[in-house]
Amino acid sequence: MFNPRLHQAEVLEYGGGWMGVSAVPGSGKTHTLSALAARLILEGQLQSDQEVLIVTLVNSAVDNFSSRIAGFVKASGLLENVGYRVRTLHGLAHDIVRESPDIAGVSDQFSIIDDGESTKMIDEITAAYLREHPELTEVYITSSADDSSSSRLGAQWNSLLNSINSSFISQAKDLQAEPGDIRKALEKRKFHDPLIEMGIEVYTQYQRGLHFRNAVDFTDLIRMAYTVLRSDPQYLERLRFRWPYVLEDEAQDSSYLQEQILRLLIGPSGNWVRVGDPNQAIYETFTTANPKYLKEFLDTPGVIRRELPNSGRSNLSIINLANQLIRWTESGHPVETLRKSLTSPYIEPAPPGDPQPNPPDSPNAIYVHKNKLKPDRELEVVINSLKSWLPGNTDKSVAVLVPIAKRGERVVEELDGAGIKVVEMLKSSQSTRKTAKMIQKLLLSLADPSSPPKCSNAFQEIYQSPQHNVEDNERVERLAMLLRKTLKLEDFFYPFSGRSLTALFDASDLDESDIALLDDFRKKMVRWQAASSLPIDQLVLTLAQDLFTTPADLALTHKFALLLEFSAANHPEYKLVDFADELREIASNERRFIGFSEEETGIDPAKHKGEVFVLTYHKAKGLEWDRVYLLSVNNYDFPSAVEGDEYLSEKWFVKDHANLEAETLAKLKAVVGEDIPALHTSTNDATLQAREDYAAERLRLFYVGITRARENLIITWNSGKRDACTMSLPLQAMLAWMENNNAPD
Amino acid sequence: MALTELTQEQQAFLEQPFESKLLLIGSAGSGKTTAAVERLKSLVGNGIPARSVLILVPQRSLAIPYVEAVQNAGFPAGGEPAVVTLGGLGQRMISLFWPMISKTSGFAKPNFPPQFLTLESAQYYMAQVIQPFLQKGYFENISIDPNRLYSQILDNINKAAVVGFPLGEIGERLKKAWSGEASRLITYDQAQECAVEFRKFCLKNNLLDYSLQFELFTGTLWKTLLCHEYLIRNYRHLIYDNIEEDVPVAHDLVSEWLPEMDSALLIRDTAGGFRSFLGADPDSAQNLGNLYEQIHFSRSLNQSEGIKSFQSALHYAIQDRKAPESDSSDWQDAFEVQSFRFYPEMMDWTVDRISLLLQQEVRPDEIAVLTPYLSDSLRFSLFNRFELKGIPVKTFRPSRSLKDEPVTRALLSLAKIAYPQWHMIPSKQDIRFALTQSIAGADLIRADLLAQTLYQPGKPDGPFAPFEQIRPEMQSRITFSIGERYERLRQWLIEFRSRQVNELDIFLSSIFGEILSQEGFDFHQNLEAAAVTARLVESALKFRRAVLVENVPLQIPIGKEYTNLLDRGLIAAQSVSSWRQQMQANAVLLTPAFTFLMSNRPVRYQFWLDVGSHGWWTRLDQPLTQPYVLSRQWDPSMRWSHDFEVVNNQKNLDRLVSGLLSRCREKVFLGISGMNEQGNEERGELVNAVQVLRRKMIAMGSKVEHV
Repeated sequence: MFNPRLHQAEVLEYGGGWMGVSAVPGSGKTHTLSALAARLILEGQLQSDQEVLIVTLVNSAVDNFSSRIAGFVKASGLLENVGYRVRTLHGLAHDIVRESPDIAGVSDQFSIIDDGESTKMIDEITAAYLREHPELTEVYITSSADDSSSSRLGAQWNSLLNSINSSFISQAKDLQAEPGDIRKALEKRKFHDPLIEMGIEVYTQYQRGLHFRNAVDFTDLIRMAYTVLRSDPQYLERLRFRWPYVLEDEAQDSSYLQEQILRLLIGPSGNWVRVGDPNQAIYETFTTANPKYLKEFLDTPGVIRRELPNSGRSNLSIINLANQLIRWTESGHPVETLRKSLTSPYIEPAPPGDPQPNPPDSPNAIYVHKNKLKPDRELEVVINSLKSWLPGNTDKSVAVLVPIAKRGERVVEELDGAGIKVVEMLKSSQSTRKTAKMIQKLLLSLADPSSPPKCSNAFQEIYQSPQHNVEDNERVERLAMLLRKTLKLEDFFYPFSGRSLTALFDASDLDESDIALLDDFRKKMVRWQAASSLPIDQLVLTLAQDLFTTPADLALTHKFALLLEFSAANHPEYKLVDFADELREIASNERRFIGFSEEETGIDPAKHKGEVFVLTYHKAKGLEWDRVYLLSVNNYDFPSAVEGDEYLSEKWFVKDHANLEAETLAKLKAVVGEDIPALHTSTNDATLQAREDYAAERLRLFYVGITRARENLIITWNSGKRDACTMSLPLQAMLAWMENNNAPD
Repeated sequence: MALTELTQEQQAFLEQPFESKLLLIGSAGSGKTTAAVERLKSLVGNGIPARSVLILVPQRSLAIPYVEAVQNAGFPAGGEPAVVTLGGLGQRMISLFWPMISKTSGFAKPNFPPQFLTLESAQYYMAQVIQPFLQKGYFENISIDPNRLYSQILDNINKAAVVGFPLGEIGERLKKAWSGEASRLITYDQAQECAVEFRKFCLKNNLLDYSLQFELFTGTLWKTLLCHEYLIRNYRHLIYDNIEEDVPVAHDLVSEWLPEMDSALLIRDTAGGFRSFLGADPDSAQNLGNLYEQIHFSRSLNQSEGIKSFQSALHYAIQDRKAPESDSSDWQDAFEVQSFRFYPEMMDWTVDRISLLLQQEVRPDEIAVLTPYLSDSLRFSLFNRFELKGIPVKTFRPSRSLKDEPVTRALLSLAKIAYPQWHMIPSKQDIRFALTQSIAGADLIRADLLAQTLYQPGKPDGPFAPFEQIRPEMQSRITFSIGERYERLRQWLIEFRSRQVNELDIFLSSIFGEILSQEGFDFHQNLEAAAVTARLVESALKFRRAVLVENVPLQIPIGKEYTNLLDRGLIAAQSVSSWRQQMQANAVLLTPAFTFLMSNRPVRYQFWLDVGSHGWWTRLDQPLTQPYVLSRQWDPSMRWSHDFEVVNNQKNLDRLVSGLLSRCREKVFLGISGMNEQGNEERGELVNAVQVLRRKMIAMGSKVEHV
């Protein structure tokens, strides 16, 4: 059972009402919150149809919570699955809408399109809009962006407009504004803005497209849930009854609507525990997520305030560095308004005698590469460092963190080149393609059951996995070759004679593991061949039950099944081969079809020791490694809203280098909120505000990066594409502090 | 038949005088129907003419015990009682008195005979009626597959008839009760318009669907002197079973008729009402016969004490009420729960557990596996697991489309070969599949080799080439035994083509009887295949009879039209007769829970799968209809709300669970899967109730085995 620390025990004593908990990185908040949920379930406070509701940010956290709570509940003899529900906000909204589709205005068979599909739709609509409105270019693009760079310019301009429209739509939905509402408000004020007009038009077309497919996107889901709760008091009452306790994790990333939905669900006299770390709010840019909601909650009279300040994750040097970053921000940041970007509580090490003590400190815990490096050279330095470190540390975990996925791909290439094993967590569609491909190959083999090559392909696709070790994968390859050369598959799958596998394959060197693997395949394949006469959706579901065990894969194949059922209804003549073709398109990413969830199920770094994780700072949240490399800590990726910094969102080709996305969103807010003064402020206000918001978020991102490391932290920076970037300001400050404190560099 | 051993309650009941009117009340399994059958026998045995006895049931499956008794050698000789539903009786009366009503009831061709529609042929015509509306964009703002669309509109029309309100009021009723998005209102108007249009179509073509039959009989014929007198004179004695499962208009009619009867026995199940979504009205049944002498059967003949107290404990848990202190606690051994993360684990456990029971000498037909829904995937996966363990299994799913039966698909592919004039050419894949289904020993690969080497569509002398035509090496791969069977099938098809038989149903029964049921073929001693074939034959025959009339001219061969219809999924898989046959097999039953209730056959062990599913609780999503709003108990000034929904779902769950346990003798096994087939977590009301029991057990200090 869980043996809580003092501060954790204080949280566990919670009896009801509203409680806010500030937790530092590594303070065991998942564990504490799970234990609290289990306590509420086990103490019998709940009636049979009541549940503790846990709301968290990403799907990997859902699994984490579920398995922990299940563990607690099962140990007591109750049914492990009952009495609680862990959801992301999207999952929760889906539940709410699914139970009441009528009121939400969708049929019960609506589908959810993911961000990938949604982006694709918006891109297409935007491209069409741009063709009809070439004048946009003249209005916004500076004349100095000459023709010589026109192709590069064109692509970047398109991508900027896509991004503006995408943010426009989700922001408008968050503000509960329909396209018609915005247009009306615009006309009322006689306000004219080409980008707002584009936003409205694209938004209109986009909604039409969704309606046509009987689909909703993620933001719709949340918006609809909110609408349902507001318009059906009986249903709301029932949900309030069902969830007498709401525990909210990662509350610092709560968006406006999340806050509203939870407030409705909890009601004036409900029980609400919000746990979060305002210092780790990193999802705010162009969204309505804001750590201020959590901060305001903590300051609300009557709210019980608790802290989880102890962390056993990092050694003392790293803790001190993280705390110094907070201290510097609060008192030393040159931009006054940014001084609240990071706040106390400071991280305290685990108390003496703690079951999970901090790793021992070492003088070389932190290394900052001070010198300016060109981007390629930065990679080289990191790879070299890994090469020399890895052989002596195969029992340690290590990660390389990068600001954007594209940079990560370069790191992966280099590591591959150096023969270093990589765990890549950059592309979220990775498993989608794998899942689709597996089923596709299998369908092809079922369509042509006597073909050895197709059978061999299916075998290989099913049994080969990047997660397996080299030896296993080599075995699969060898056996696949064997199957390919087998001319009479019927003797393998449906032997009439009692010939052994060895005789059949004419290969005497089959070992026990080989035979076990082939036998497993044979059994499954015989079953699948029998299932091949089922309707396609049912066939895919049947295959999925045998092939997959993660909720993400099962949900994904269910989505494939629906898609194929839809094709089957429209094309009664379709055969297995045609369905396999559909899946091939998906598998090869011609049609983007990312899994239901944006996040993959969590990978535990501790299970991949001796391999190198490559991922973005954002995706690293919630994870920890013994050794962490932080890359690109320069004034472009981590700007500070000071003179000389450059910004990703301020494009070189836009007049006055304005941040068009920020400007457009600010106007949208002003139009919808009828904020007339804000409508007519000078052009650059939003751009400047966006700089500060971005700088604040990047400070926190840097903090998140630092606090991922248990024993070693290595920080590097590069001079950027045009060799003009400098070391980021906070890193300079940290370096100065370390030198003053004689900390080793 | 050996004399049934009767309980004291039953014996006392049988001592009631013949000329009496009785209301027999009791729960499921208390022996009411057995007692009624005994009474029937003693009535007839004591000289009351069997022909003057009318046995009414709400649904044909509920007539089985009576039909079996009447067909039994022990039944007194001389005439048979009528065992019918009210709809069936109506159909007979309409045929008899047609000339009397055809002119006044608005039929366009009163001098032509009436054409009674089955559910299938009604859907067939409904599809024709709706087509132009769909093209105009009707029903665009809901997403629904066409077959469900037809059946829901028919459902509305039938509700008007059986509940007793004018056809023109359907839309208005649904609209008034609607509290969701306003856009749905127009859909209800459209459904109304289609209903009226369908009725017009029927009147124009002398077609009588169920609703029209019912209305004509109860509203018109029954009120005519001639028919009324006829019925009163012919039927002097009534046995009316399961009145709680019948519709209000039936209750109305019977209550008018009762005073004229010499004797009557009404039987009501206290916990019934399962057919309420079909219009059954247990509340209106309450008023029927309540002035007559009431006899209560209180003992359950099926349940063990453990199951009985489990039933009660679960009832209180579902209601979330505290059970009375005196409530016994021996329910703990009457059930077993296992919780899993994934579906396949739950299925493995089910099959393993059953295999263990069978080793303990339990008969397979003493076990039922029950699910809220039974998808093809689930059915396949369970069947497959049972097969691997050599456990016999049978299934029944009345709402399943007949085309989804592998046997059907195989037979249709062969039919397409037998009727080249249809120009429906099966693909290689279809043929391969048909061969695996028909030739014993033909696995998918060998069938594939056969299809690849010998199937040549479009050849004038038949698409199958002779086996001897292929290379010896290939012959030996396929094997000569399979080749020989293939040859027999091929020869038979050639020979059949020369017979010039046009009727599809005749083809089907011939190919079944003359070849596929023979040794060496897969339908040999295969009960399920036989049942599906029988159903297919019956359905094709009925369709031929329903459609082949001068009323509506047909452009294409009727067999082809039927095949098209099947391909579109319009025909349901099973009917009562095929069901009866199958039920008798000594095999584990796999079926949706609701269907199990309607089969009314108790078992010793039940397995409830996916106990966490909401399917145990929620009703079917039916965007175009609403069983409660269209019922007689609904107050038209109200709006349907979430609270109504919840209260009703709760009531239905309670009723369902209690109904299942009334049909269980010894023990229930509950399987829970954390994740459903779609990767979603579901924790419905039923699993919550089980958790309550679990809590109680812990509180009582029982040792809870690890789940």
